[in-house]
Amino acid sequence: MQIDREQLVAVLKIAKERGSDFADIFIEEVQSAHIYCEQDRIERVTAGIDAGCGIRVIVGEATAYAYTNDLSPAGLKEAAATAAMAARGQGEVVVMDLRRRTPSFDLPILVLPESVPVADKVAVVEKVNSVARKIDTKVRQVTVAYRDVVQKIIIANSEGVWVEDERIRTNLSMNVIAVEDGRIQTGYESLGGVMGFEILQENDPTELAIKAANRAIRMLGARPAPAGRMPVVMAGEAGGTMVHEACGHGLEADLVQKGISVYANRIGEEVASHLITVVDDATLPGRFGSYRFDDEGSEGQRTILIENGILKGYMYDYLTARKAGVPPTGNGRRESYQHRPIPRMTNTLILPGKEDPKAIIRDTQRGLLVTRMGGGQVNTTNGDFVFEVSDGYLIEHGEIGEPVRGATLTGNGPKALGMVDRVGWDLGFSIGMCGKDGQGAPVGDAQPTIRIPELVVGGIVEEGQ
Amino acid sequence: MMTLDMQKLARSVLALAESMEQAIEVYAMSQKSLRVEVSDGEVETLREAQQTGVGIRVIDGGRLGLAFTTRVDPASLRETIGLAAANAKSATADEHNVLPPPRPTQALDLLDPAMGAVNVDQKMDFAKAVEKAARQYDARVTKVRQATYNDGIYQVGICNSRGVDIGYEGAYCAGGVMAVAEADGQAEMGWSYDFSRSFDKLDPAKIGQEAAVKAVEMLGATSLETCRVPVLLTPEVATDFLEVLIPALTAEAVQKGKSLFAGKLGEVVGSKYLTLIDDGLLPQGLASAPVDDEGVPSKVTTVMVDGQLETYLYNTYSAARDGVDSTGNGMRSSFRGAVTTAPRNFYVQPGDTPLVDLMSGISRGLQITNVMGMHTANPISGEFSVGASGLLIENGRVVRPVRGVAIAGNLIDFLQRVVAVGNDLRFFGSVGSPSLLVEGITVSGE
Repeated sequence: MQIDREQLVAVLKIAKERGSDFADIFIEEVQSAHIYCEQDRIERVTAGIDAGCGIRVIVGEATAYAYTNDLSPAGLKEAAATAAMAARGQGEVVVMDLRRRTPSFDLPILVLPESVPVADKVAVVEKVNSVARKIDTKVRQVTVAYRDVVQKIIIANSEGVWVEDERIRTNLSMNVIAVEDGRIQTGYESLGGVMGFEILQENDPTELAIKAANRAIRMLGARPAPAGRMPVVMAGEAGGTMVHEACGHGLEADLVQKGISVYANRIGEEVASHLITVVDDATLPGRFGSYRFDDEGSEGQRTILIENGILKGYMYDYLTARKAGVPPTGNGRRESYQHRPIPRMTNTLILPGKEDPKAIIRDTQRGLLVTRMGGGQVNTTNGDFVFEVSDGYLIEHGEIGEPVRGATLTGNGPKALGMVDRVGWDLGFSIGMCGKDGQGAPVGDAQPTIRIPELVVGGIVEEGQ
Repeated sequence: MMTLDMQKLARSVLALAESMEQAIEVYAMSQKSLRVEVSDGEVETLREAQQTGVGIRVIDGGRLGLAFTTRVDPASLRETIGLAAANAKSATADEHNVLPPPRPTQALDLLDPAMGAVNVDQKMDFAKAVEKAARQYDARVTKVRQATYNDGIYQVGICNSRGVDIGYEGAYCAGGVMAVAEADGQAEMGWSYDFSRSFDKLDPAKIGQEAAVKAVEMLGATSLETCRVPVLLTPEVATDFLEVLIPALTAEAVQKGKSLFAGKLGEVVGSKYLTLIDDGLLPQGLASAPVDDEGVPSKVTTVMVDGQLETYLYNTYSAARDGVDSTGNGMRSSFRGAVTTAPRNFYVQPGDTPLVDLMSGISRGLQITNVMGMHTANPISGEFSVGASGLLIENGRVVRPVRGVAIAGNLIDFLQRVVAVGNDLRFFGSVGSPSLLVEGITVSGE
């Protein structure tokens, strides 16, 4: 991917030729490798290149966006002309001098995916598969997916920003299906980060297999979760789906500015318990949502969103920051050259508190302990959220009791976070692909052990109960 | 008939691989698309796109290798063929990995020639009309978000080394919007979406009003005490459930031991009111095409009749394994993806009962108009637990909106509890359902 400074300037000038406030160009080349194992065999191995360019022109509040796979000089100019045609304005045709930005922090990659033979990647997948299958005869099916992605990007805009970067992500995920007496349960585990193949050398991938298989088997014997309101303790190891759904989305500036966030116009107000501090941090080495620069060329940063319960700020991309008259927070992300940037989370964390997580459980008479969260969703307008509990236990008299299955937690973001009365000193991360406006983005979420005195648990009520 | 560009491209890639001994398939796709998003009567976003891509499958002694590229020059294509062939060497052999032979296909009218003549101003006006209709419906509608129009014109070419050589083209358009209604410090939102293969058949006012109705009717919503009641799923919510269920109806899931329906062919697995149909040829259907993504002719498959399971959905691989014919359900998510098994136009056959009659029979129940977290339902175990909101019905009438409740259970059990099917079939994309009345459901609330 060789596109020099003169070419970038020429394309930006075409994008601005009809007069506009701002133009930017995002050129991307993604090389990916994917290995999929199921039925105890490597079903398929896929590799490919997806290359393209997106050109954006902004006039006032209007955005025109054009993209193409054609990265030839003519193809780039045509896309720029298409975007320029769609956004006619009175702005200046000036394009500032491009100055190459260098990152102020690094996210080092130790083992480049292309340096690892496909056979070595296949060997990890096969190993994980066989470990999971040997754990118990109840294990009926195992799927393992390995993926590595090398994304090369060039970003330039009419305000002089010019960034060239390479991002590498590797992840391994697996699903174990266990069957007993016609009942069927699953256990899912994943591992991923802004890392190369070292992620599978620094972490033992067979631990994933053991965890996933044991969970599927444990759930076979678990009883349905009780339904109703009760105290919920979320263990640090449960991951961060709750913080992502309960407040993360509502703090994205586009939703705030459109007035469809329950957190709109509440800066400086108390929106959570004083024990709660929430940050979004793109600078954490190795985490799944990390990057040096966002997809608009702004540097990734650590942003304090909620501090001791008080709402401090939102997550901005270029457009929403300009509208608010604040600097961007480096949260402008896009799924690919086919998408325009929007404010997104990176790694979102509730910071650890001061308490022993074990004491939090011990002090809970009766409730639900969540040790792994699954997927979730939020209605940002009213703050109602839901997420699934993929591993949970009853708490009885301060002791961890029997495992329960099928629970879903339903609550309201500000209300639930406002009620938090205990925060542990631990911190557990999880990874996910977050969906918003039809765009997927890799994110990390983390939280310590916390207790919410009252949430609605939607359990399964069986016949006769 | 003129040969389409993508069919020519697929042929040319196949020609590059002429000397190869392995079986090879080329899938070429191009699409031109546009999306307009309007806010406060002004165009907020206009996106135009042009995309071409090629996906290649190589089968080498039963071993499957895949590669894709967006670079369509001969050197890049040759490299991609080589990558697919090399990848095949790392996979495990399976004799059922085969390519389909050519078979006669049925021509379908998927491209309304008028679609190419709709200009950008008309498309912008459409999105503005959607927004206006939502705003004007009720003074309590305070915000309208993502009033959109989008469309696409596409071409597909599929060629393989067994002689499949086919191309087709089509177009679609769609509109959608989200409305927010506010009263007494409470905000609620409502979504709406509709699509068509013809611009003049898509009604912006209908889309806008529907979103507004959904937002306004939820104002004042409160929770409900935990109770066991009949629930009436709107076509949209019924479709959400159906989408979770469909993967379990594929032969792929059955063969891999992850289907609820394994070993249940010929058995009654659902209520006698349920008939499920997959139709790859449905006129105007969003997933209609003469062939699937492997070049197998599309057909109509009745998956369930009166609750009895008739067949699974097959692609070429799973059909070879079971010794049957593919049902034309070999689908790719795009040229980048592998061929999996997916529905075409899949729907619950509608009954005769109008919605008002379904409602009037309910002494106390909940019409569920929205579910949250449906993607967390487990299609393998069938267990689900979702957040729900809707309208409380007493003595056949809507008495108040309800939010913050949850419903949970098992999909099989849910299927068996359907006691009535409405006549209001509606598609949301390629999956559709009429209203479904389901009895004896626990709604968890206060």
